[in-house]
Order: sequence, then C-alpha cells, then structure tokens
Amino acid sequence: MMKQIYTRLKPIITSVLAGLVGLAGGAIIMALWGYPPIAAYQAVFSSVFGSLYGFGSTLAQATPLILTGLTFAIGVRGGLFNIGAEGQMFLGAIGAVAVSLISLPVGLHLIVALLAGMLAGALWSMPASILKTTRGIHEVISTIMLNWIALYLGMYLVIDWLGDPGRAEKSISAAPTARLPGMLSGTSLTYALVVSVIFALIMFFLVWKTTLGFELRVVGQNPGAANYAGINENFSVHSTFILGGMAAGLAGALQIVGHPPTFALYADFSTVRNLGFDGIGVALIGRNHPIGVIFAAIFFAGLNVGARTMQITAGVPLEMVRIIQGVIVIALAAPELLDFWSKLIPGIRNWIGELKGSS
Amino acid sequence: MEILTSFLKIFIISLNAMVPITLAAVGEIIGERAGVIDIGLEGILLISAFVGTIGAQSTGSPYVGLLFGIMVGLVIGIIHGLISVYLKGDQVISGVGINLFGGGLMAFGLIAVWRTPGHHVVPSAVRMPKIATPFGGISYITILTLLIVAGVYYLLTRTKLGLKINVTGEHPRAADVAGVNVEKIRFFATVTGAALAGFGGAFMAVDWFGVLTKELAAGRGFIALATVVFSKLNPLLALLGGFIFGFFDSLGVWVSSAPSIKQVIPWQFILMIPYVVTLLVVAGAIGRARFPDKLGEPYRRE
Amino acid sequence: MAHKQPLEQSDTEILLRADGISKGFPGVWEHLILDEIDFDVRAGEVHTLLGENGAGKTVLANILSGFYSSTGGKIFIRGEEVKLNSPQDGLEHGVGMIHQEVMLAKPFTVAENVALGTEDSDLSNPVSRVEREIIELSENYGLEVDPTVKVSDLSAGGRQRAEILKVLYHEPRVLILDEPTSLLTPQEADHLFEVLRSMADDGFGIVFITHKMEEVMEVSDRVTVLKLGKVMGQKMITETDEEELTEMMLDEKIPIHLEREEFEERNVALSLNDVQVTGPRGNVQVDGVSLDVKEGEILGIAGVSGNGQSELIEAITGLRAIDMGMLTIQGEDMTNPSTRAVQDQGVAHMPEKRREIGVVEQMTVGENVVLRNYRDPPFSRYSVLDRQAITDHAQKIIDEFNVICPDIWKSETRILSGGNIQRLILGRESWNNPPIIIASHPTHGLDRRAVSNTWELFITLRDKGSAILLVSEDLDEILSLSDRIAVMFKGNIVGIVDADSADKNEIGMMMTGA
Repeated sequence: MMKQIYTRLKPIITSVLAGLVGLAGGAIIMALWGYPPIAAYQAVFSSVFGSLYGFGSTLAQATPLILTGLTFAIGVRGGLFNIGAEGQMFLGAIGAVAVSLISLPVGLHLIVALLAGMLAGALWSMPASILKTTRGIHEVISTIMLNWIALYLGMYLVIDWLGDPGRAEKSISAAPTARLPGMLSGTSLTYALVVSVIFALIMFFLVWKTTLGFELRVVGQNPGAANYAGINENFSVHSTFILGGMAAGLAGALQIVGHPPTFALYADFSTVRNLGFDGIGVALIGRNHPIGVIFAAIFFAGLNVGARTMQITAGVPLEMVRIIQGVIVIALAAPELLDFWSKLIPGIRNWIGELKGSS
Repeated sequence: MEILTSFLKIFIISLNAMVPITLAAVGEIIGERAGVIDIGLEGILLISAFVGTIGAQSTGSPYVGLLFGIMVGLVIGIIHGLISVYLKGDQVISGVGINLFGGGLMAFGLIAVWRTPGHHVVPSAVRMPKIATPFGGISYITILTLLIVAGVYYLLTRTKLGLKINVTGEHPRAADVAGVNVEKIRFFATVTGAALAGFGGAFMAVDWFGVLTKELAAGRGFIALATVVFSKLNPLLALLGGFIFGFFDSLGVWVSSAPSIKQVIPWQFILMIPYVVTLLVVAGAIGRARFPDKLGEPYRRE
Repeated sequence: MAHKQPLEQSDTEILLRADGISKGFPGVWEHLILDEIDFDVRAGEVHTLLGENGAGKTVLANILSGFYSSTGGKIFIRGEEVKLNSPQDGLEHGVGMIHQEVMLAKPFTVAENVALGTEDSDLSNPVSRVEREIIELSENYGLEVDPTVKVSDLSAGGRQRAEILKVLYHEPRVLILDEPTSLLTPQEADHLFEVLRSMADDGFGIVFITHKMEEVMEVSDRVTVLKLGKVMGQKMITETDEEELTEMMLDEKIPIHLEREEFEERNVALSLNDVQVTGPRGNVQVDGVSLDVKEGEILGIAGVSGNGQSELIEAITGLRAIDMGMLTIQGEDMTNPSTRAVQDQGVAHMPEKRREIGVVEQMTVGENVVLRNYRDPPFSRYSVLDRQAITDHAQKIIDEFNVICPDIWKSETRILSGGNIQRLILGRESWNNPPIIIASHPTHGLDRRAVSNTWELFITLRDKGSAILLVSEDLDEILSLSDRIAVMFKGNIVGIVDADSADKNEIGMMMTGA
C-alpha cells in the first residue's frame, strides 16, 4: 500500500524537489552577486498572495503558460520534442490580430479570432512535422529555426500589414467585438484564463480518453508496440504537432484578445516572447500532464509576477526567474539525482529507502 | 570595384562570424561521435560570453576572458556529462535546461553586474586585437579556429583516442569488450565539446561582437547543431558549414547598412535568411546523415 | 576428424574454474538464470557447453569473461581467486570471449577494432603497427584476415576470424566461443574446428558453446550439458554419444499428447508458399518456407531459437517484409500487409517479445488490455474510449487468466512479472476466439499450472475451429499441443510430422541438424 502511494506521489515529489533545487540554485546565484535571497523570495511570495492585483496578475500570466506548456507536454506524450511554441504562438497572435481587419458581430468575431489563432499555430507546426516524418529531421533543430523565422516574419507583418496608423511599432488593436471581458476588476485578468483552462481540459480528454490520444501515446512510448498494434506512426506524429501548434496558437491569440489595455501586438513582440520557452519548464514540472501543467503554470506565473516585486523590493533583476527555471529543468533531466536528494531529507530517507528495497 | 570591396568586406565578416558556430559545432561533433548529444550549445555560448567578459574586465586582459569562457564551458560540460553519462539521464532535457539557464544568466547578469537591461559594451581595452586589413579586421581566433579544426580532424581520424571516441558512439559494446572505458571516453568527449563551445562564446564577447546582449547567441547554438548535421560529423565540413552560415549571418549586418537593398527587401526577411537556409540545408542534407548508432542512448552493460 | 589421444585429466593444468556460480536477475524471472554452476577448463582441451537456448550458456560465458557479474560463487584462474569486473579484467587475466553477436564496429577496419585495446598512448596512431601484428598472428594461427579491410566488408567467416584475432592479440590462455558457427558455411566451420584443435594442442583451454550436436561430437574433448541454469552432467566425449547427450539436454518427461476433437475436412486458414524473409542483419533468415495451417489445427514449429522462426512470425504478422513467395490468410493474398490488415483478417498475435512490443510497459493494464482492439466497440465509440467497458473487459481477463496486478488503472504494466504479462497477452489475444492465432513462445516463464491452463486453452480454441501456429523452444509443449509438427533449422522446414506418431529424440535431432 505504501509502495503504491510512493509510486503515485513520486512524480509530484520529484517536481517539488526539482522546484526546491531550482530555488536553491537561484539563491546561490543571487548570493554570489550580493543580493538577499530570503528577502527576494519573501517579496515574491507576498506579492503573489498578498494582493488581489498580484493574484490576478499571476493567473493572467498563467493563462498563456498553460497552453505553451501543453504544446511541449503533448509533444512529449507523443514522443517528440516540440519546442516551437514560441513561433507557433507568434503566428497565433498574428492570426488573431488579422481577424480584426474584417468586421464581424460580437461573439462570433471573438470565436473566429481564437480559431484563426489555433489554425495559424497548427500550420506553423507542420513544416517541422513533415520534416520529421519524411526526412527524419530532429524537431529540436527545425522548430527553433521556425521560431526565429516566425519572429522576423511577425515583425514584418506587424509593421507593414497590421500596423496601427496612429502608433508606430504596434499593430492594430483587436476590435472591441473580438475581445474577452475582464474577470477580476482591478487586475488584468480576463476570461482568457477560462478559455485556457477549458482548452487544457479538452486536451486532457483528447489525449487520455480518445482513440486519437491513445494512438499518440502508444507511439510516443513504444513505437515497436505501436507497430504491433497496427497504429500509423506518421499520423500520430502529425497529430501531436498539430495539437501542440493549436495550443500555442491559442496562447498567442489570447494574448491579443484577452490582454488589456491595448489588446494589440507590438513589433518587438514583447507580450508574447519567451512565453513559449517558459512552457517547456512548465510542462516538465507539470510532468507533462494537463492538470500538472495548470499548477506548474501558476507556479511559474507566480515567480514571474513576484519577480517584478522582487526587483523593486530586493533589487534582484527579474531575469532571475529564467535562471531558476533552467536549474529546475536540469534537475529534472536526472531523476536519479533527485532520488539521491530525497534520501538526504532526514526522516524521509529511511522510509523511501525501505520502499525502494521492497519494490 | 564597389562590388569587390563589398564582397571582401562580407568575406571578412564571415570569417569572424564563422568562429562561434564552427567551434561549437566541432565540439559537438566530438561529443556526438562518442554518442552524447548536447543541445545546450546556445546556453553555453551565452554563459561563457558573460563569464568571459567578467573575467576580461576584472583582470584587464582579453586572454583571461577567453580562458574564463573555456573554463565555464568545461564546467557545464562536466554537469552535462555527469547527467548524461553517469546518471544515465535525459540528454536532451539537460540541454534544454542549460539553454534556459544561459538565457537567464545573461539577462540577469547584464543588470546585476552592469546595471543595464539592454546591452553592455565590452570596453575596447579588453577586446582582442585584430589583424587589420583594408576590408576589416580578422581576428587571431579565426586563425586559431582553423588550427583547432585541423587538430580535431587529426585527432578523430588518425589517433587512437579518436578511434576510441568513434567506436564508443557507434558500438559501445564492442568498445567495452575491446577494453575501452566507455563512460570515461564519453565524459571526456562531452566536456571537451562544451569547452570548445565556451571558447566560441567568449570569443563573441571579447573579440568579434564586443557587445553583450540578451540576444547575443541569436540561435547560433542551434545553427551549430544544424551544422553538425550538415557536416556529417566531419570537422572540415563543419568549418565549411560554419563559414556558410557565417556568410548569411554577415549578410544581415551588411545589408542593414546598404540602403539600396533595404528598399527592395524588408530587413526582417534578410535577418530571416540564416534560419531559412539552416532549415533548407537540414531538410535537403544529401542522403540521411550517418550518425553513430547509439547516439543519445546511455550505455548499460546488462 | 581424428582426435589426438586425450590427455589424462590429472596431467593438465586447470586454467579456469568456476565454483558455484549463480546468477539471478532481480524482479522479473521466476527462477535463477544460473543455479550453482561448477565448471572448469584445462589446458589443451576443448570443453563444450551444450544446451538449448535459455539454458544459461551465454550468461555463464559472460560471467567467466568478466562481461557480467555473478550473484554468487567464485572464479579461479590458474588456482588464484579473481574478481572480474569488466571484460578488460577478463582479458588481463587471460580469458577472452568471442560473443555470439559481432562485437566489432562495422564501419571500421579490423586493425582499427583491434587497436582499441592496445596499450599505446591515445595520441599515437598504432593502426599500421597493429596491422602488421595482425598479419603475423593470422599466419601463426591459420586465421586468414586482411587487417585493412572494413568489418562491414568481411564475410561472416572473416568477421569471426577477425574477432578471434582481436582476442588473441591479448594473449589469453582461455578462449570462450559462443555459438561460433551460427553464421558460417560448413567449410568455414570445419576450418574453425581445425584452428581450435591446433590451439588446444598448443596449450589453450577452449570453451565451446553450442546447441548443435554434430559439432559437439566433432570438436570436443569434454562436454558439460546445461539445462535451465543447472548442470545436468559432464562427460568425456569418448564416454558418451549423441542420444545420451540429447536426453540430458531435453526434459526426461514423456509428454502427453493432449486429448482433442477429431475433424474430417478442414479448410486451410493460413498458407505460406515458398516464402523468403531477410533478417535484420541482412541475411536470409527464412529460406523458401511453405506451410499450411488448417482450421481446427495446431501446427507447432519446433526448433532452436535463431533458425528463422522469429522472422517467419514477423513476416506473417506484418512486422517484416516478405521478399519472395506468397502469404495467404483466409483465402486472401496478404503478402506484405500492414499489421492492422492482418489483424482485421482475423489473426491474433502473441508475440515473442512480450515486454518490448506485446505491451506498452509504461501504460496501465487497462490500456494494454485494449492495445490491439481499442478501435472496436464497445471499447470506443465515435473515437471516445469507454473506460467502463474497458474496465469490465480487463476484469474478465484478469479473473479468467489469473493476471496478478495491483490495479487496472493506477500502476504501470512494467511492474508485472513476465509471467503475468504473458497471461494478460494470452487473455487479450484469445478472447474472441480468433480464427487464426500466432503464438510465439506462449508459455515461456510461466509456472507449471499456468502452462497447463494455457495448453487447455489452446486445445479449446482449436476445438472451436481456430487455426493455431505455435512456435516454441519447449519441445514438450510442441509435442503435447500440436497436431502436426514442422521442424525448422537454418531457415528451412526440414520435416513435417504428425504429432501423435512423433519420436521426441528424433525431433530433437532434427532440431540440432543431426
């Protein structure tokens, strides 16, 4: 019985430990440059949980992270390394903005914007998918290249095609008929969060409860068994990329239609950049499971939001968050290392050692 | 005459642009031939550029800066090596983590050390001297890179160590049975590769660019990976690949200062070129590149 | 081939001695791989290790050469106890092994492969010197190899000679060869035996591992028979014969041909016509096989593993290409189909590699139960999986087939023992009385009761009209279950006999090519 509990909790324990290792790593780097780690983390905590604004901002920030986390997580479930969420997200944002060039009734306009975002994201994932299935090109290279291409393409489109005549370096704003209403007054949180969570739940359903998802997972875990089971491997690979692209595209769209006060895209892509990469850490900590991703997204968003306060209060540059992320991911690369750590925690050490011996 | 001058200017810039890509690629070739994949090259470039600059500025010597870069590359190689070889962990995830860490460290460091969120110009006093030509300065490191490439090529094709590395990646069991310590070789290869990438990163800071920004690497780590594919694990071809990508890289720099082109092609598309070219090259790589059979797989005897 | 007068046992030095060697693999297997093995090799002798596959010969050899570690027992080399932690240790103590699988890196030359293990500095280039030394060695031992040739360009015989030279380079006293003739032509094999004989005469101790009877008689001085990890007996070759050895190798039990229904006219369900299949290493593994399996019949393929059975099964089930010939299932031409098409045609497959492809180890039991038929109602409707239906089905299979698993949905299938995984697969594949069943080593690793339950199941399915193609290394199983028995050796069917009139030893000898 205990063994069962340990097995079920192990992924969570690993993630928590990795999170702690990350925070510890961040603390070390902070200390190296004379910043106060304790004060810094205190500032983070208090800002996120201390005020409605902080809390709302956290959830608002979590919204796109849930989706970009899904992109990577679904990829892993399908046996792939889809790190193209950045680019897929950019195009999703562009798609959503472009929809505002035409006029549609309220409600419908919003839906079309979101669909356009998903479609754009899915299409941008296809080159990587095709390269993988036809030439065996590892998606790590192809998706990164596509990320950069998307960035520059996006910049061009924003300035030259979707530019706001009134303000340079900014695209047109999403039409009022294509915006999501706010959810928590006094914060920037909109119903984008709801859309995001619903999408995550739909993905959960798709991947775990449908035949499509079943095939995807079998291919991801054991291509030989997939062959034995009669599953078409290429089809599953494409599905994995498309679902991931849709998620990232939706994230981009939501950053437009759900992003007060401007509801627009900037030429430097500041409101969408890095969210794709953050998604990787989110997915890994969330153990590549939609529910875990949601929690991990909130954790990361909290770090990001709190980091601003951390910067003001403790003077620590908010870029520290990326460092913490990096350490967490490295820690997750070697789970055995974390087993080693967990053995060091007094009290738990013997208990876990016993379980491992008896399993 | 105009055209010739421009061409030579681009050529010189390309020679310099080639260095980080080639060094990282050649380092990765050593690692991959032994069977270990390191996709954290982007991160290593950033971290070593940062640490290298600190080293150079605090001692006043660019050479120390380069040394610091190599050493920090070594350290990262050790971490990645421990995870990949001895802990039998996931090599790709480790690489992703290194990239994230590198991005964060650079951004953090710019503010923490120099109080600037954007860019930090490395003082010319600690920049490497260049060989002056009428068309631009060629770095000494460029020449060193050529020597390194030749040296690595020699190592991999004509020495026993190179043989060990090659067989370890291809058929670790055969190497094991023949008396080779598989784990030691793989670890050594990984660490060496990372150190070379570190060299490339420091080069970017104290030699070629001389400016630290968050975007310093700009995907070059991944372009180096693509170069490795293009080179079919041959260091000489990695040199060629590095030069080709360096060329497209430098095109962007050159074009942005040439108004006539700007009117025809938007600058964003020029900047896209290195990445599009990489994608096309990787897609069209003639024949599937022949990678070591056991690349990316930890070795277990039983 | 004439033997020299065998040296008196007490005269010669014991080069290598294994004392009570045991080996267990944690968790999965239900018995020890090796159970207190005593074994020794003297200078000047060829000592053969004989046994069927799964007897433990290779594991023992790996332990003796340092590649594996033992979980019990001691090793003595020339009287001194040693601990071998790596193949290098083995070589340093004078024990060299030539493995069954090629341990040479193919894209490199022979000399390069040998140069890996030399004592030279890493920065030197010893390859040319090694080339010269190899030429010398090859002349001394009569093993002709061109050291400058790439391993991939060598013939099987050449590769093996290169392997032997690679080991000889380290000047061992004991040489272990694991199934060395599996890829050789008869002439190459004869040549090998001459070389081994002369090496023994020079004072080497040779351990020769095989399952082929003809070789045992030809080359050995002493024979040790291994069965299921235990030593069955040890004899001087002059004091025994093929029949006695075969009996030692196989089970003493007389199998019972199980009761079954008699049918009159039956249709052919599955048919192979002169089928040729190439194996993963590029050589032909199935060499023109023709077979029919009728409805309501069990056709057993007897034979030692490695004679083409796996490739044959893979070809029938769509996992490997058929180069020549035709495969007909239920009257339709199914040469080179997709696995799904074969399945839809009514073929159930219980694969040999049960853990590797038969289940997805990281997935739950529930998911693995519907691995092959998740698309069919009631398990899914409009592409949505019906968890309750799957649970019910899984529970039925678990109950009826005695699959011991903690929870259908909460734990990974990986934690199940091999036997339980097999029971799961058996249940899954046989549930709907499929018209055709391909069963590959279906009771491997199961306990006695599970084995007899499985046999009963197969007979029941057969009586209901299923056509069953059975591949097994357990000759008792073949004899008990089959209506007809086809013996496969080196990619050919060397004989098809009726089971009720078959003689076990006769089949045993056909299996070993005797």
